[in-house]
Amino acid sequence: MAIAEPAVVPPSPAPVVSRAGRPRRDLTRLQAWGGVGLLVAVTLLALLAKVVAPQDPLAPVGLPLQPPGSAGFPLGSDSIGRDVLSRVLVGLQLSWFGAIVVIASGLLVGGIIGLVAGAVGGWVDTVLMRFTDLFLALPAPVLAIAVVAALGPGLRNTLLAVGVVWWPFYARIVRGEIRTLRARPHVEAARLAGTGGVRIALRHLLPGAVPAAVVAASLDVGALVLTLAGLSFLGLGQPAPAAELGADSARNLSYLLQQWWIPVMPGVAVMLLALAGNVAGDGVRILLDKR
Amino acid sequence: MSARGAVTGGVGPAAATAGPAAAAALRRVTGVPLVRLLAKRLVAAAVIVVALATSVFVLQRLSPLDPAKAMLGPGASASAVAQQRAKLGLDDPFAAQLGRYLVGLPQGDLGMSYRTRRPVMTDLGAFVPATAELASTAIVLALLLGIFFAVSTSLRWPGASVLRGVLMAGASAPAFLLGIGAILVFYKQLGWLPASGRSGITDLPGGPTGLLVLDGLLAGRFDVVSDALKHLVLPALAISFGPAVAIGRVLRTSLSSEERSDYARTARAKGLTDGAVLRRHVLRNAVGPALSMTGLQVGLMFAGVLVVEQIFAWPGIGQYTAQSIPVADFPAIAGVTLLLGIGYVVINTVVDILQGLADPRITT
Amino acid sequence: MSQDDTTAAVATAPPPTEAGVPVARVEDLHVTFRRAGADIQAIRGVSLEVAPGEIVGLVGESGSGKSVLGLSLLGLLGGSPRTSGRAVVRGTDMLTAGAAERRDVRRLHLGAVFQDPMTSLNPTMRVGRQIVEAAGSQDEAVRLLTAVGVPDPARRLRAYPHELSGGLRQRVMIAMAVAGTPSLVIADEPTTALDVTVQAQVLGLVRRLRDEIGCAFLLVTHDLGVAAQVVDRVAVMYAGRITEVGPADEVLRNGAHPYGVALMRSRLSLRTDRDTPLLALPGSVPSPARPEPGCAFAPRCTLAGPDCTTTPPVPVEVAPGHLAACVRDLAEIRAFAAAVPAEEPPAAGTPSAATAPAAATAAGTDDAPVEEPAAVRVQNAYRTYSVGSGIGRRRPLQALRGVSLTVARGEAVAVVGESGSGKSTLLRLVAGLERADGGTIELGSAAGAQMVFQDSGASLTPWLTIGELVGERLRSAGVPRAERERRVAEALELVGLPAEVAKARGIQLSGGQRQRVGLARATVVPPEILLCDEPTSALDVSLAASVINLVGRLRRELDMAVLFVTHDLSVARVVADRIAVMYLGRIVEIGTADEITHRPRHPYTQALVTAVPDLGVEPPPPSGEPASPLDPPPGCAFHPRCPRATASCSDPGLDPRLAAQPGERTRLTACINLEVS
Repeated sequence: MAIAEPAVVPPSPAPVVSRAGRPRRDLTRLQAWGGVGLLVAVTLLALLAKVVAPQDPLAPVGLPLQPPGSAGFPLGSDSIGRDVLSRVLVGLQLSWFGAIVVIASGLLVGGIIGLVAGAVGGWVDTVLMRFTDLFLALPAPVLAIAVVAALGPGLRNTLLAVGVVWWPFYARIVRGEIRTLRARPHVEAARLAGTGGVRIALRHLLPGAVPAAVVAASLDVGALVLTLAGLSFLGLGQPAPAAELGADSARNLSYLLQQWWIPVMPGVAVMLLALAGNVAGDGVRILLDKR
Repeated sequence: MSARGAVTGGVGPAAATAGPAAAAALRRVTGVPLVRLLAKRLVAAAVIVVALATSVFVLQRLSPLDPAKAMLGPGASASAVAQQRAKLGLDDPFAAQLGRYLVGLPQGDLGMSYRTRRPVMTDLGAFVPATAELASTAIVLALLLGIFFAVSTSLRWPGASVLRGVLMAGASAPAFLLGIGAILVFYKQLGWLPASGRSGITDLPGGPTGLLVLDGLLAGRFDVVSDALKHLVLPALAISFGPAVAIGRVLRTSLSSEERSDYARTARAKGLTDGAVLRRHVLRNAVGPALSMTGLQVGLMFAGVLVVEQIFAWPGIGQYTAQSIPVADFPAIAGVTLLLGIGYVVINTVVDILQGLADPRITT
Repeated sequence: MSQDDTTAAVATAPPPTEAGVPVARVEDLHVTFRRAGADIQAIRGVSLEVAPGEIVGLVGESGSGKSVLGLSLLGLLGGSPRTSGRAVVRGTDMLTAGAAERRDVRRLHLGAVFQDPMTSLNPTMRVGRQIVEAAGSQDEAVRLLTAVGVPDPARRLRAYPHELSGGLRQRVMIAMAVAGTPSLVIADEPTTALDVTVQAQVLGLVRRLRDEIGCAFLLVTHDLGVAAQVVDRVAVMYAGRITEVGPADEVLRNGAHPYGVALMRSRLSLRTDRDTPLLALPGSVPSPARPEPGCAFAPRCTLAGPDCTTTPPVPVEVAPGHLAACVRDLAEIRAFAAAVPAEEPPAAGTPSAATAPAAATAAGTDDAPVEEPAAVRVQNAYRTYSVGSGIGRRRPLQALRGVSLTVARGEAVAVVGESGSGKSTLLRLVAGLERADGGTIELGSAAGAQMVFQDSGASLTPWLTIGELVGERLRSAGVPRAERERRVAEALELVGLPAEVAKARGIQLSGGQRQRVGLARATVVPPEILLCDEPTSALDVSLAASVINLVGRLRRELDMAVLFVTHDLSVARVVADRIAVMYLGRIVEIGTADEITHRPRHPYTQALVTAVPDLGVEPPPPSGEPASPLDPPPGCAFHPRCPRATASCSDPGLDPRLAAQPGERTRLTACINLEVS
């Protein structure tokens, strides 16, 4: 029997540094990467919407009220002969980038507030989080309606309104993660090593909160697409000729029983977009969520 | 959607800070944990409602619209506008206006609608019962469907994975698509259910609640009840489907994690049947997250109500909102916001208290 | 599973000691889980019998498969593993019987106690209802609670689990387990989450229940001391097999398998030799995903030869009822067991002349001022936290209530206490992680204090490399990069880690490696005093010994003082020159390691010493549990549990001070009723 202090070299030929946890079941990872691929594909489609669109979305280009599959109108034409497919594609672009802009700005604002609250603690934390909690205690979509109504309808104001009610979720998540991390000994160990507060926040705390925030954000893409479509449906989006998924459906409700495709197609586009967002969000969660 | 589950921070600011004298007087009664929980939650709810009212007021001030001009119409002269501003107190200091607004609220003073020229409170009074009936039906339906989804996707049967896919797709559909889809299928194609309004009956009982199902029951008019229920089915389904999927998902997750918990293992080690373990031990511990999720989803359902009412020509505050938005009738929209905000806070306060009752660690 | 496995390591237990059939019989049991695409062979051919009324100890390090064996007998294996062999309880095979039949066996013949009574009880159900589920009636529940020593049982029945102390919760678990007088109770680490004095009570209870109701126990534990104290027969498990089984005394005193011998030698007791290094086991437990084809212990065994690595050894009887699965001759193993290790520098504690504690020369007051420079001097420190969660009122938690302690340069002092004693708070104050509410803390020099944490994994920032972490203090001090890398490599080498570890992240290292990294990080710039917060409590016996050795070596080589917090007196004894015993925020006794462990004077210290489980120790369990620091008893905080307490001990005006006895220089005791010897 060897005596104390020998184990500099492990007796077995195993590497000193063992491999980290093996990948989970391959199928799950495949699904996850599929979701992420979908995210990329939808973003590409949105980027290229105007190029892909066969017609001018704003101008009448043929007979009105043509059913899907008619010549020149894969998804039919609307009441004044505009191409539904082209309008859906452009509306999709708007919805997708609208959702991404809101999420990105929400992550930025909420992330900074959450990081400051969690890392500084004390009264700063109390003040910031009481403020955040106020938002969270109110129904976000309803609040957004009030904000747009006050600012006046329009895409910019809609995004602003949703952004204003959306960041608190991320502030909560990031702050929660930071507080959990702060309670871990590794932060105290860093403090004992003489590391400064800013460096602790950025190097020892922030990287740990990123996965949870990104997971939450990617799971939110679908919810945001739905929220924006709902506001647009209520008439809070752009004024009339512009192509917008929610508004296009709302304005054409009267055609529902005869020319169903005019209100339904934009709704189906919202659904596919939200579904893509949800599947991709699940993928990101599987890839990033360690728990 | 499920990310919402992570942020059920509960109703935020709390801290019932009473003065020392009041504290002494309250000590006896607040010694009871449940009373303290109730008191804390109610104070928190009040704080939130005041904050909501304040922000609605601030929004009104931020709005580029001049209320005086809006009330008088576009043709009003400058002097008439100035006179109206003075009458409305719009030139007073901000704090004074805010104070007046907050004092007026509990008395039902929500201002005048620009569009209808009537007090917003009066307008809301006419529209609220229809919305209340639809929203409460949707919430109950969301809970029932959520439980059904949780159970049917966790059981091992051939359709489980297909059902899961259908649910995911359904939860990704906007409420308006579910609404118009339901109309196309169940009204146009199958002709099973009506697609418009609250009732096809002309001689409706006049009161007392304004909720047709209840009023019909009270009046013994079962034709009214069944007709009202038929009209409720499609809009309530369209509103509650997405939230139900979210609730079902949370419930399934918490059920399966509680089933694997140490105390469930202890219960099995005692020789209890799986059913007994589920009923006596797991269920009560698993309802918490599902309850939080339900409270949270109420916000989405309110937005859904506003949308779906338009599709089904439901004579509720959704219609009122839809008519107010194009003409920028802010007092009307502010009234709706306050109303729904208060409804949300009340429901979530109830959820918090229910959770306190379910989990003795919170109340003892 | 290979052919060899199925035929091997069938350590058939000796016939039951009493007449009659065994209550449980495990025959050639194999359990294999599927995890992340790999087969985890948790149990690889185990046979064991439990006779009626017998207490069998199942001892092993983490990952040995001991808990899986317990769950197999309960028929509660989760995660649908592949199994073969039999696990028979009262005639029913718990692996293959139908669900209803297994349930009946659990209800009628089995009881179970699990490690953490907090999570093992339903948090939302009153304990009364939970006991009634097993006991059948309210009256029976009261009777059971009385039997397991719960005071005021009728009132406790209405409590929720979180309203009870840890010891009471575990008694409730035991009451449920013995309800309906089962034939066998499976107790999986029943005392691991408990304080030392409470552990002693619970072990005493297990013994008593066996005597009174005659049920057998299968006691699963990692702690040889626990096994030594209560069990009749011991089975030692390693990597899914039983290496050795036999009467407890026989196996623990005259081990016949190199693994058992090594385990016994590396474990600490109050009799461990302080002047030589502890005997640590090299290497670590093999991965259950890639089991050894032969004897699983061969890679770590000094006696191993080529014949050990081909087929698993067949157990042979070495003494009546004592079987060991080793191919070596008994004589060879006995010689190995008796061998004195080669001369090595002394272990942790041994005071060298330079560091001999001149500390605490008795003056009438607290820990007396020392003439020579101190590494740290704590004077009259107070620390109160405000606690409260949910909707409860915030209440003051008095973690430290006037603590004075001086650690001389180069001296090692251990602080020992149970939960709520304030020992960790004291360490955090010295580290500067928190401020004292009252009193002063002076560090002897600018070199300051560095700390090694209990959970070494959690103390490493997961996404930073070991090199970055160890080099952080150098970075703060402005050392240039190249110089930093060199010194990090040196620090790693000093704790016995190769330089390439610097490129790894914490998660890629084993528990022992992480704790070494923690030490490297604390000593990359040698501090004046090294603070250790239970650095060994999460480690297996063999690893703990090597960490303790390392702390001792670093202390000598880097000339540091050490302040070592632990709940374990036997650890304190080997690492420290002096031991301070804390109870509810105060030091109740301080003295040299030998004084405290061999001639304890304070009644609490005496209780602690007798509660350390060991071979042949039959402790009179100290009564009660530590009171809550939310509500410390007035006067001497120990008086409610103290056998010598008099009326004046509970006088709220009493402030028991540390004082020396005439003629003693090094020991101070805070008790007004000392028995003068």
